[in-house]
Amino acid sequence: MLGKLDWSAIPLDQPIPLIAGAVVLVAILGVLGWVVVKGHLPYLWHEWITSVDHKRIGVMYILLASVMLLRGGSDAIMMRIQQAVAYQSQGYLPPEHYNQIFSAHGTIMIFFVAMPFVIGLMNLIVPLQLGVRDVAFPTLNSVGFWLTATGALLVNLSLVIGEFARTGWLAFPPLSELSYSPGVGVDYYAWSLQISGVGTLVAGINLVTTVLKLRTKGMNYLRMPMFCWTTLASNLLIVAAFPILTATLAMLLLDRYLGFHFFTNEAGGNVMMFMNLIWAWGHPEVYILVLPAFGIFSEVVSTFSGKALFGYRSMVLATMAICVISFMVWLHHFFTMGAGPDVNAIFGIASMIIAVPTGVKIYNWLFTMYGGRIRFATPMLWAVGFMVTFIIGGLTGVLVAVPPADFMLHNSMFLVAHFHNVIIGGVLFGAFAGFEYWFPKAFGFRLDERWGKLAFWFTFLGFYVTFVPLYVAGMLGMTRRMQHYDVAAWRPWMLVAAAGMAVLTIGVICQIMQLVVSIRNREALRDRTGDPWDGRSLEWATSSPPPVFNFAFDPDVRGEDAYWDMKAHAQQQSLEHDLPEYHDIEMPRNSPTGFVCAFFATIMGFALIWHIWWMVILGGIGAVATFVVFAWRDHDEYVIPAGEVAAIDRVNIEERRNLVSMAGAV
Amino acid sequence: MSDQTHMQAEHDLAPGDEEQHGVGARILGYVVGLALALLLTATSFFIAGTDLVWQPSIPVALIVLAIAQMGVHLVFFLHITTGPDNTNNVLALAFGLMVVFLVVGGTVWIMAHLNQNMPPMDQIMQMRR
Repeated sequence: MLGKLDWSAIPLDQPIPLIAGAVVLVAILGVLGWVVVKGHLPYLWHEWITSVDHKRIGVMYILLASVMLLRGGSDAIMMRIQQAVAYQSQGYLPPEHYNQIFSAHGTIMIFFVAMPFVIGLMNLIVPLQLGVRDVAFPTLNSVGFWLTATGALLVNLSLVIGEFARTGWLAFPPLSELSYSPGVGVDYYAWSLQISGVGTLVAGINLVTTVLKLRTKGMNYLRMPMFCWTTLASNLLIVAAFPILTATLAMLLLDRYLGFHFFTNEAGGNVMMFMNLIWAWGHPEVYILVLPAFGIFSEVVSTFSGKALFGYRSMVLATMAICVISFMVWLHHFFTMGAGPDVNAIFGIASMIIAVPTGVKIYNWLFTMYGGRIRFATPMLWAVGFMVTFIIGGLTGVLVAVPPADFMLHNSMFLVAHFHNVIIGGVLFGAFAGFEYWFPKAFGFRLDERWGKLAFWFTFLGFYVTFVPLYVAGMLGMTRRMQHYDVAAWRPWMLVAAAGMAVLTIGVICQIMQLVVSIRNREALRDRTGDPWDGRSLEWATSSPPPVFNFAFDPDVRGEDAYWDMKAHAQQQSLEHDLPEYHDIEMPRNSPTGFVCAFFATIMGFALIWHIWWMVILGGIGAVATFVVFAWRDHDEYVIPAGEVAAIDRVNIEERRNLVSMAGAV
Repeated sequence: MSDQTHMQAEHDLAPGDEEQHGVGARILGYVVGLALALLLTATSFFIAGTDLVWQPSIPVALIVLAIAQMGVHLVFFLHITTGPDNTNNVLALAFGLMVVFLVVGGTVWIMAHLNQNMPPMDQIMQMRR
């Protein structure tokens, strides 16, 4: 009846996951209870859960990523403490638990923190920057988000029901095959990634279509803000690469469920093929993550330097070059597998070449800052911190791109330090920069600068104190994923790294404090004009938060830095225009399709993991039925009357006029 | 939303959004495509079993016919044209082809080297003998 599921699935003998699970459960029930008692449930359902507004969906993506960042961060803290204490002892985490923690840490940080964070920012900002009213497929967008949330839910469920994979974040066979991992851990891993992978693919298709097909008047490709370009490149990579991940995991699942032999040791299975395929996805994936971050930094550096982006066209070219070359370097993840000198040399050189367009970008940012009037607001601090950190990470990357060096450093703590250097220094700093930069746009008030700067400095310093020792430990021969060790020379570096983790934790606490303080002082921090940073692109041309239709009219773009031009013209003409004539606006109706579909997908995923076949069928039918109901809908748009549009827009125009007249008076 | 779509539509069309031909012309297009596809399929089956041509040329002929088949599908069913309204579709096709070429070609190349250098232990033992 319930497949493999019985009471032994609850880890009653392991206090840590049980207590963690209980705390999370209490927190969730507490929030739910508060929502129900306060009567917010209808609001939550109508305004958020069923929303197809790209801004709301973007915010929900970022919220999901932030919550999962805390989960993945707790795993990181536990690992650093384990390695600090497990010198000539077993530490406090038994091996099977430690292995689950490092697997969950990697899986969560990549798939459920970095991905939703950048996709959320793209969702939130790209339609605004393009001057349009929504993404190309609004309901599909909601489906994509909720499927990602399903994946995250399944991963967290593994904490209390059953176990998570003990195989590392990419579940390499033969360890991940049934003979070596008979439990449900790998199944939790694979099914949550399959389901959230569908969500990611859907988001990718949606954003590619949005950038290619929905642009406002005059928004040529070469007038798009840099963030739109990197969004395009990143989502092209999603569309091209994620099917490889899905196919690879599907083959692994066939091995595990139906006795196939794609990657087994027996019957002609080829383990090396898994490495090849998973990295053919895995390397584009790192560029999927970091390209949007490059876009965010381009916007931030240009805005806070008060200058147009230096070398815009070379930036576009570099972005698209990275988009293509990222598909030519994947072998550098398994130089040591023995493809031989010819293959290794070619892929080594390709890996070094991809550093060139990245270098172009770094110089472009530096030249954008050169001679600019730089304001060191929090987003700019993250951007400068990124440049320093990412250059170090990039240089160590070029170092391990040399095959002979890689043979020494493969699977060492040096490698761990390298990829944290680029992912934290690149993606996470980018996500934080974007968060600080666009928060006023999303919510209508700024974030507290003092706490923001504290958060930056603690995170920045904490990062170095944590990861520079890992470089050293790697040089001293320490391999990754060690549950305990006996080498005295490594011990001091592990202690320093644990101290660094404490500093990083203070950084995270500062970030939470920043949010709390800012929400409390929101009236004082209110952004009335919609343009708090003196911005250059179209998202600043509308109010903060933007009305549901984003723009009362299609903005007319006459060059790069569209909004900067508009402001320059408006100041010459002192906004003397008559108020224009407003028209009715059609917007897509909200739809519970995404939520309902994800609800059934969750049931189906859970049932697949535990081999509860009747429940699989139930979930499958439910998910398909949801789509059928949606496909047969009669009304999918509603009309906002011109009068209402005018009323909303006039408030914002008035605020902006006041600002200009005040500036004129000074 | 929809007004923007219409504005863009003059320059760039999605497959199936072509300017309005008569129904007759469109049906004719599909019929011609179906006929060509059937012809190419029939020829493939015929060539594969025949002894009328020089035997080593059969695989080459099959590859040529397969590529022609893809072309017919792209032109008649997926409506890929060289017109300026089709830039996005052609670029998407080119990008897809390039990625497939890189991943499949790279995989074949890598796996050939790996299989040669890293055979299973029993094969290594046989090579020793």
